[in-house]
Amino acid sequence: MKTVMSNKWAIALYVWPALLLIGCLIYVPLVMTGYYGLMDWNGFAPKRFIGLENYGRLMQDSMFWKSTYHSFLLGIFSTLSLLLYLAVSLVLASRIKGADLFRKIYLIPMLLSSVAIAQLWSKIFDPSNGMINSLLISLGVENPPLWLSDPNIVLFSIFIPIIWQYAGFYIIIYYAALKNVPEEVVEAARIDGASPLQIALRVKLPLISSVFKVTIVLALVGSLKYFDLIYVMTGGGPNHASEVMASYMYGEAFTKYNFGYGSAIGFALLIICLIVTWLIRKLTTSKDDYQY
Amino acid sequence: MSDFAAKKHSGLDGAASRSGRSAGSRLGTGLLYVILGVLAFLQVYPLFWLFLFSLKTNQEVFGASPFALPQDPQWGNYAKAWTQGHINLYFLNSVWYTAAAVFLTIILASFVTFAITRMYWKLNRLVLGLFMIGLMIPLHSTLIPLFSFFKNVGLIDNPLSIILSYTAFNLPLTIMILLGFYQTLPREIEEAAVMDGCSVHRIFFRITLPLTTPVIATTAIINMIYNWNEFVFVNTFINSDRLKTLTVGVNSFVGQYLTDWGAIGATLIISIVPILIAFLVLSNRIVEGMAAGSVKG
Amino acid sequence: MSKKKALPILLSAALILILILSGCSSSEPTAKGSGTNAAGGGQTVVKFMHLWPEGSSNAQYKIVDNIIKEYESEHPDVKIQTEILGNDQYRDKIKVLASSNELPDVGMTWSDGFLQPYVEGNLFTPLDDVIDANLKDAFIPGVKESYAVDGKTYGMPLELNISYVFYNKEIFEKYNLAVPKTFEEFKTAVKTLNDNGVIPATVGNKEGWPGSFWFMYLADRIGGPTILTDVIDGKTKFDDPAIVQAATEVQNLVDMNAFEKGNSGLSNDEAKGYFMNEQAAMFLTATWELPNYTTSPDVDQAFKDKIGYFKFPLYDGGKGTDINSYVGGPGVGLFVAENSKVKEAAKDFAAFLVKEWGERSVTEAGVIPATKVDTEGKDLNPMYTEILNDLNGASNVTTYFDTQASPNVAELHHDLVSALFGKQITPQDFVKQTQEALDAER
Repeated sequence: MKTVMSNKWAIALYVWPALLLIGCLIYVPLVMTGYYGLMDWNGFAPKRFIGLENYGRLMQDSMFWKSTYHSFLLGIFSTLSLLLYLAVSLVLASRIKGADLFRKIYLIPMLLSSVAIAQLWSKIFDPSNGMINSLLISLGVENPPLWLSDPNIVLFSIFIPIIWQYAGFYIIIYYAALKNVPEEVVEAARIDGASPLQIALRVKLPLISSVFKVTIVLALVGSLKYFDLIYVMTGGGPNHASEVMASYMYGEAFTKYNFGYGSAIGFALLIICLIVTWLIRKLTTSKDDYQY
Repeated sequence: MSDFAAKKHSGLDGAASRSGRSAGSRLGTGLLYVILGVLAFLQVYPLFWLFLFSLKTNQEVFGASPFALPQDPQWGNYAKAWTQGHINLYFLNSVWYTAAAVFLTIILASFVTFAITRMYWKLNRLVLGLFMIGLMIPLHSTLIPLFSFFKNVGLIDNPLSIILSYTAFNLPLTIMILLGFYQTLPREIEEAAVMDGCSVHRIFFRITLPLTTPVIATTAIINMIYNWNEFVFVNTFINSDRLKTLTVGVNSFVGQYLTDWGAIGATLIISIVPILIAFLVLSNRIVEGMAAGSVKG
Repeated sequence: MSKKKALPILLSAALILILILSGCSSSEPTAKGSGTNAAGGGQTVVKFMHLWPEGSSNAQYKIVDNIIKEYESEHPDVKIQTEILGNDQYRDKIKVLASSNELPDVGMTWSDGFLQPYVEGNLFTPLDDVIDANLKDAFIPGVKESYAVDGKTYGMPLELNISYVFYNKEIFEKYNLAVPKTFEEFKTAVKTLNDNGVIPATVGNKEGWPGSFWFMYLADRIGGPTILTDVIDGKTKFDDPAIVQAATEVQNLVDMNAFEKGNSGLSNDEAKGYFMNEQAAMFLTATWELPNYTTSPDVDQAFKDKIGYFKFPLYDGGKGTDINSYVGGPGVGLFVAENSKVKEAAKDFAAFLVKEWGERSVTEAGVIPATKVDTEGKDLNPMYTEILNDLNGASNVTTYFDTQASPNVAELHHDLVSALFGKQITPQDFVKQTQEALDAER
């Protein structure tokens, strides 16, 4: 077994093409980002080396920390909503009628591009003509919430479409994982008289724990660098109330021409993701797990 | 009523039916369906809404009620999307960039995941770590460095720059999803195969790949959707109109001062059809693969 | 055994690699540089990038397309190769291209603050020679200067935008409102409209700039026509009492519910919807909206007939006493890349485009060009003729503050205007933060 499965040629053949690809297309930009982060550079004028000055500025930039805080909030909400997705998947993966149809329907929002989703949710959130507020007004609510304009709630308003958008993504992963659980195991539990709920929680859940752990990392890292809907729907506003790390980085690098500083933010984002992933691994790894 | 009873009978793992036809379980099943139905409505309504949207004039789009039906359906939006948005030109590009990148990503990711989880070597954790870091870099940080990289290797305005970027940027995610599944695969099958004298490649192509069809279908769906809707890379690395993709068509209706929302809606509807079909086909593979796998297992 | 099996796979991998590499090399001729090399047959290829896609800016697209065709038929040895992007995509791509020194030979630029870093990075070439030769005195006075740095002109303006208050005549008549001449009258109109449940004015402040129109006009009327330009030039401070007063008046309007609710979360397009659907009576915007009120086939004629415009009212006791002083600014202009290998051809084509653009843009696209246009004998919508005449009688056009400012200050200004309208900051903080940003750049 060991000799066959430790064939060096095969390992090299399997790993090198992919490694080469990410080496060129991800690690080169990554190193360049780190390098630009040490520069005072607007993107095209001559670069000026300033050492760690950008990072010093970052440490004292309250806007950066605010956006980091927002990103973390999104991360926490996304991770918590995994439980919801998991519950739906467990129901769908039990032999319930129509599960196949429901599963397909649930993925539909994921097919839509951000342009469409942003348009839809702007129509839902519009302060007086929107779907929610026109309903509230007709119910006699005099001052319905200004979902995307009130700095106190905008961040939470914007989380809703993000969590909604990703439902299909996680449901499909969980569903596939649950379908991978050997039928014999489920059958054995059923013969022992376990209820569907017990089968779901005691039998299936432990068997897909490795998948669940992976999705925690995906949800957290994905949230920390989340950009799309926030950029299109609020642009990080009003007055930075919904700014997240990636939108802040984009604004600095592309709108304000502070490419050096923007790169430093991008690099800091990477470091933060690394630390978070490491912590998650520490918290969830059991001895037979692989490092991720 | 009897119809409902029949439905309930086959519902919920069969166990519900065995544990008695109590009113409570019946209520529970009904409630479950209500919840699932509401969720389904929330997820499917957008598609319907988008369709209505695609038939509206700009004035109606920002009109009084987003629920309203278009007064005078603007089928012309579709004609506009087809001609002025150059969808006919972009469509094939979208299809083949997406297909090529999905194929490349899945085969490379399967290779890597197989080598990391099933084979014995020292640096596997380090290599895995290298891929994981790829998940963490924000897209916009990479644009300028990637552009100058592609410029140096002469790949600007070449479809390869798009396909390779899609592949590289989706590899980490794909590997991570695969990883969770590979860990649940029993090793006994491979051990038996080794006993029978199988080579590594035979094990990979004949045993592991078929066994992982469900997750491959899953990652294929995810990859496909991501690539299909991507436009930052296309916009940046491609100059020639004949090499651009559908998402560029969508954005060509966003003007300097005016945006033609109806035409955007029409382009989005047209572009969602093929991916919806591909999704439905692949989606069935998740279940079929499982069945095929369990026969082998 | 397994080593033998590895061989075919290795070979096929090598084959793929070769394919990829050959793909690179075969693409080399087309992908090289900014297309500045001469193509086959001794033709000069000029790369031209613009932001008027057929879909969203059909009229502009057609004009440019026709001009290119004419130019090519007049110059058979020149081929114009276009790349067309949507507005936001254009802005992003031009930065990436600039960072690799890969700008197209001719492209579009905005004036002042946008152009400055490109000029400093030595990416645009001065165009004074070609302007003197082809376009002397062709531009509306003052517009060309917006594209000048240290006395050299780096862009040839195409568009000119002037901000007016557009209003719904039907709504005004219904409530017996006259066009307000003074700010007090304006406030009275706001009050009347509000009492009758009509949104007085719509503004979308998600991006900040639409709200800035209100602020800039108030600053002009209170502090005099040169005050904002003086701030940019460092002659006046942003915390001048007149500017504080202007910001305070903005918030007074907000307190009076002059604008639709939640405007700080709405885009300009969304806010515009309130006006187009006659829920709001007024919309302070610029002349780029003119086609919607005059010629656009996509808008109801009945609606178009209801729309009029007026000049921003005067402020009692303010220093800006001339109602013919406007806030506006050049839109896009053309640049020629410094490292273009076909610079002369590029310059010649750019000048040709600007020259031809002027008249056609009025008659065919319904926009106001940056070049002088003789309206005599042309069949124009009365609103155009009136506005073109206004322009001739303009005592001053203050370029938009965000256009004049550096990208850094402009962004901050947008954020702060949004916060000002949302009442998240006081007028004092508004001026203080802006002044600090201005000071940081000196």
